[in-house]
Amino acid sequence: MPLTRREFLFLGGATGAVLAIGVIVPIGIASRETGSEGSAAALVGVFPPVKVASLAELQEGVPVIFDYPQVGQSNILVKMGEPVIGGVGPDEDIVAFSRLCTHMGCAIPQYQHDHKILGPCPCHYSTFDLIHGGQVTLGQATQNLPQLLLDATDDGDIYATGVFRLVYGFDNTLQGGELVEA
Amino acid sequence: MSQIADPASVPLPPPDAEVKDICCEYCPVACGYKVYIWPAGVSGGRSADENAFGIDFPAPALSGRWPSQNMHTVIERNGVQANVIVIPDGDSQVVNIGGTHSVRGGALAQKLYRATGPTSDRYKTPLLKVRGQHLPISWEMAIDLMAELSQHTIDTYGELAWGMKIYSYQFYENVFAASKLALGEIGTPNYSPHHAPAEGDDVPGLSDVGIDAFGPAFADDKEADVLFIAGSDPYETKTVRFTTWQQPGGAKIIYVDPRKTFTAAYAENHGGLHLQLTPGTDTALYSAIAREIIDQGWEDAEFVRDHIASRSELDQEGKWRRVQFGQSFDEYRQYLFSQSDFTLDGAERATGVPAAKIQQAAQMMTGAGAERPKTMLLFEKGVYWSHNYENTAAIGSLGALLGAVGRPGRGTARMGGHQRGGQKAAGYPLDKSPHSFEGHPVEMDTERWLAEGNTRFRWVVGTNWLGAMGATQALRKRVAELTSMGPEVDSTDPATVLAQLKARIDAGGLVIAHQEIYPNESTPSADIILAAGGWGEDTYARNNAERRLRIYEKIMDPPGDALPDWKIFSMVAQRMGFEGFDWEDTNEIFEEAAPKSSGSRRDFAALVEKAQADGMRGHDLLKTFGTQGLQTPLRLENGELVETVRLHENLQFKTDSGRANFVLADWDAVKERNEILGPTGDEVWVINGRINALWNNLFDHARRQIATERWPSNFLEVNPEDAAAWGVESGDLLSIESDNVLDQLGNKTTGSFTAAAYVSDIVPPGVTFTYFLYPGSPANSVTSADTSLQPLNLRYNFKLGKGRITKIGTTDLKDTMSFAPRNLAPAGPEG
Repeated sequence: MPLTRREFLFLGGATGAVLAIGVIVPIGIASRETGSEGSAAALVGVFPPVKVASLAELQEGVPVIFDYPQVGQSNILVKMGEPVIGGVGPDEDIVAFSRLCTHMGCAIPQYQHDHKILGPCPCHYSTFDLIHGGQVTLGQATQNLPQLLLDATDDGDIYATGVFRLVYGFDNTLQGGELVEA
Repeated sequence: MSQIADPASVPLPPPDAEVKDICCEYCPVACGYKVYIWPAGVSGGRSADENAFGIDFPAPALSGRWPSQNMHTVIERNGVQANVIVIPDGDSQVVNIGGTHSVRGGALAQKLYRATGPTSDRYKTPLLKVRGQHLPISWEMAIDLMAELSQHTIDTYGELAWGMKIYSYQFYENVFAASKLALGEIGTPNYSPHHAPAEGDDVPGLSDVGIDAFGPAFADDKEADVLFIAGSDPYETKTVRFTTWQQPGGAKIIYVDPRKTFTAAYAENHGGLHLQLTPGTDTALYSAIAREIIDQGWEDAEFVRDHIASRSELDQEGKWRRVQFGQSFDEYRQYLFSQSDFTLDGAERATGVPAAKIQQAAQMMTGAGAERPKTMLLFEKGVYWSHNYENTAAIGSLGALLGAVGRPGRGTARMGGHQRGGQKAAGYPLDKSPHSFEGHPVEMDTERWLAEGNTRFRWVVGTNWLGAMGATQALRKRVAELTSMGPEVDSTDPATVLAQLKARIDAGGLVIAHQEIYPNESTPSADIILAAGGWGEDTYARNNAERRLRIYEKIMDPPGDALPDWKIFSMVAQRMGFEGFDWEDTNEIFEEAAPKSSGSRRDFAALVEKAQADGMRGHDLLKTFGTQGLQTPLRLENGELVETVRLHENLQFKTDSGRANFVLADWDAVKERNEILGPTGDEVWVINGRINALWNNLFDHARRQIATERWPSNFLEVNPEDAAAWGVESGDLLSIESDNVLDQLGNKTTGSFTAAAYVSDIVPPGVTFTYFLYPGSPANSVTSADTSLQPLNLRYNFKLGKGRITKIGTTDLKDTMSFAPRNLAPAGPEG
């Protein structure tokens, strides 16, 4: 049985002990306010919603590659064919992850749909399980893959609306580079 | 849109952050790390001149300077909140060049003590068990109890009744201090390491060949044309040695393992071989390869002629084992050709490895008469913990046959299980050991001795010993009996406690003191807990598996009133009236230990000699070499330190004659042992070992989210064929049980544990694999502990577990835990 969406949100938020990351709040409550006490996050930023795919063009197991939220933060979106953690769309099976390896930053080109795995990374061979929140199935990455928060509209468009966990190379997922255009 | 996420971030160290040198705590590769410490609430900037990394952010791929979230934490230091980043040394030119790392070391920051959060359950004061509950006591009371109980035991029952069970791998300073007390002052043979029931050589067969177990440098892996790797998965457990030294060198890998791991798949995809043998049969495999080599005339004849001892030379050796089991080339050849199981077809039947692959291995390792490739033979616990003498003799002899020693890209050595800090202060008192083989004393089997009721006081240091020994449930039961004799401690009054614990000792019972950093599965058995410090909580030194000596600088104090190990040993020793334990700091111990290391592979006497000549402290001189350190043994030439890249470069061996020799690998003895220890009836092999994301008994990793998310449970790898036959799917809860386990006294006992099924072709049918020390899942309960089965060198056959597998339920692990294949290696050059 797949996780409920609420459980996914908890999983997404539960990473570093002192870092305010992946905390999900209803949009009506969200504002530009300081992070939790002791947090390394200076400001709670708001991720721009960006259309990254459309349901009509998606095929099961065929990845879509796009940058989000900053230029150079390369991601992979896949329709998995089974309900998965954080999945959106009518079948709750569309997920997206950073494809910059959280070990040393190499872009991972290989998605293996038979195992629902991203990898092995060409640099040091980490593999990531995309039906289990980007978990490191085997490898040297010290974070699970950053997972994107997605939203599927009634029109069949898929928007990226956030990223859980730190993306390789950046000290802040929303800062340090150029935001992609919506 | 209904949800948003906060952006994740880590603070960057400002240019004026404090910087420390340290190495990883875990595997024997020991990657170099930098520790940045600066006030909480402060962050450096993204420009190169605004942060201590000296690079612009975002950091490029392979920069070695990107702090992941798990490389950062906030600690309290000197009463002030401080940011800490523990990050691989991006400037490293050795070991982890360019700042590469494993998942284990990469998250070292998460091991640091924080008053709240997963590391908050550190021991912070000494404790005393009163009516079954551990209560805080003062150090004064704890040290008094330790000294009084020790003295009572020794005075009344002799030093053999006083035992110490201790890490062998820890920092030089702590091992030296402990051994100075236990081996030097008390002089007990009741002293054994965390991983074995007895002191002694882990690879006696290799040693009897005359080859040092840690001769080569990592650079030799890169230089080699062929890497023959047995019983150790380098990608999983010595990661950076694989990714930095083995894989980039392009050597063909011949990988020996019952499991088709990542490294096995990588080897096959890149022109190498996977020799997937039946557990316990590697002696026949190495011997069959050797026989084929000799049969074809592919041995290194020049090396054999010039550097292998004759029978008359062997007869003059001072070491009895070499006289008895050492072989000249003719004797070796004669033995190999006398065994039908060492023919190609016989070996296929004996080991399960196809004859063609055995033949191919012989060709690859020798060049088959063409140009001789540079071949390295590397092995670890899958070898010497299945059997011990015979298979280390067989692989050592194979190395000698190939002349694989002492030259660039050519070596025969252990991969190592942990780092190397075992510089003892005194020799082991072998003459006092109650155990012997054919009249020759061998190191005491301390677990048998304890189970027999002979140990009255045991000081355990830094190990979950009850989980780590064989037949662990039988041992646990026996310890419960021994610790419940006599009166129960029902008071916190020091005099009453002392009288009650002495009464237990006098009633034939056992008192246990356990020096630890965290509670583990053995600490509940302890009467006294001594709260210890660990990595990063004092300044220490240690070697890695290529004999590289580095400084491990202090980051912070141990939590609460906990004390570094050396300090605890020193306090007890002084309270017992022993002199020479009044060290002020770890440097004093390091300098005292230096001359004791002379002549060994660890020899750092020259470092301290030079430091003193230059008016420096030994640690301070070592610090000047940063994370690069120095490869021991060290020597002084014209006042300058000279390192040793590899041992045996002069092709002199650790024998009286200076020549190496072959060693009898008695296959009949192995077969007989396999008959006793192997699965019977409906049992299958239940082998065990390490995996990539976890370390030892999870003392850190049970408190680290990246690890507990991945492995929320222990697992049992099951082949899909077996899974289908047993009606098992990934995530099902399994009972693993054997009623044919031999305990410490050689009696038949039962053992069982539970684990989640992980269905995968990583294991063949009839073989399962589990993690060896997952808390709450005592895998060693199905491994035997009867050392009389290999009386030459008292070791357990940890890798020869077995059991009957039964599904006892389902779990929801499939929802949260990846069960994807863990052996997906990249395709080779031909795709």
